[in-house]
Amino acid sequence: MEKIKVAIVPGAACGGCDVALANLGEKLLEATELIDIVFWPTVADFKIEDLEAVQSIDVGIFLGSIRLEDHVKKAKLLREKAKYVVAFGTCAIYGGLFGLGNLATREEILKKVYLDTPSTDNPEEKLPAQKVKIDGVDITPPALTEWNMPLNKVINVDLYVQGCPPIKDSINHFYEILASYASERKPIEKGLTIPGVKTLCDICPREKPEKIVIKSFKRVHEGKIDENLCFLAQGIICLGPITVAGCGAACISVNMPCRGCFGPPPDILDRAGKFISTIASLVKIDKEKELSDEELIRIVQEIADPVGTFHRFTFSSGIIDKKQEDV
Amino acid sequence: MKSNGFEPRIIAFLCRWCAYAGADLAGVSRLEYPPNIVPILMPCSGRVDAQYVLLAFKNGADGVLIGGCHTPNDCHYISGNYKALKRYALLRKYLKDIGINPRRLRIEWISATEGQKFARVIEEFTNELKKLGPLKLR
Repeated sequence: MEKIKVAIVPGAACGGCDVALANLGEKLLEATELIDIVFWPTVADFKIEDLEAVQSIDVGIFLGSIRLEDHVKKAKLLREKAKYVVAFGTCAIYGGLFGLGNLATREEILKKVYLDTPSTDNPEEKLPAQKVKIDGVDITPPALTEWNMPLNKVINVDLYVQGCPPIKDSINHFYEILASYASERKPIEKGLTIPGVKTLCDICPREKPEKIVIKSFKRVHEGKIDENLCFLAQGIICLGPITVAGCGAACISVNMPCRGCFGPPPDILDRAGKFISTIASLVKIDKEKELSDEELIRIVQEIADPVGTFHRFTFSSGIIDKKQEDV
Repeated sequence: MKSNGFEPRIIAFLCRWCAYAGADLAGVSRLEYPPNIVPILMPCSGRVDAQYVLLAFKNGADGVLIGGCHTPNDCHYISGNYKALKRYALLRKYLKDIGINPRRLRIEWISATEGQKFARVIEEFTNELKKLGPLKLR
């Protein structure tokens, strides 16, 4: 039996997804019977030329979002060579934390990071994408793309594996798909999203009152949190209603509200929009007719930083995915 | 002046019981108001998801109007107008944070008898958007 060729390409990523893949454990040994890894720079010294040299790839796995021109080049190269491209992890699918970088322009980011911060020592005002000489060698660090993007804004994606990083069950499921493709050449279903469609609230073990009423907003460090009661009922923002259940309620079970790192279930167009609709409805739902319109508006606007809270991991895949200059 | 010849496009989400009926009354009363709105009939202003507003802006709207029943007691579904009001409040903050002028989003309570008010609101909003100029997304 011929092994399938797999390339694992990182973009703007933290390395957590690489670790999650390595977390397959003893399955990795079994995997070497079926899979030939032709490119994985995190574990061995691969350069882009190695990817260019491969004739064809069966499955290309992309980790991380797009923030450098280099990532665009690699993603396009991967699409050209691979029969299937997999967006693996939150950053590849939704842009991840890096997406919040879209609240500033590329020029603002470069200026802040390379010139303005007090700890910066850069007398020649060198920026990335300019040629520099280090130890007699000319180096051109890669240029930032104008904006951060999830993978599917650059190339077509066939399969999505959600998670930050994807948990073992999702990776096992993904591995089963790879294995049956390798052994029986069973085609991979395009557009499939692992783990699926349930929200975190569906599997949350906490007690949910019949009617959730938010009296005022509280942040996690402000006061004691009841370990058995729904966070929203305590006025603490929890992204459970708009987050896919794939994590096994890891944060919830240690008394921390959900920040939404696994991304939304598939029918949500814009996470912030959906969550604004959800959370605003719950505010003072029992007393709304006794308060004036202005008072209600004031209480709702107590929520600090709606973009960074609701779109923490998904801003660059939202309906409006970058900072505008209209104000 | 940037408003020269600029005709703003307003998406108006109107609740079927009050604001839409108000718009109907403005029509049958032959009131004059600017032709800049695209009315969308909603079962209730509380059915206007914040996602729809963002989609409207994304797809070329210069302003979005949400029209519902008067608070506190006019809503046909008891409290749908309050849902709309609270979403509007948070959405304005969100729009400001992503760099869209929050004045492009407006909420008005217009009853079925207030054809006059409907015409006045559209006129005011159109003029305000003309001053703000077109919404250009990056």
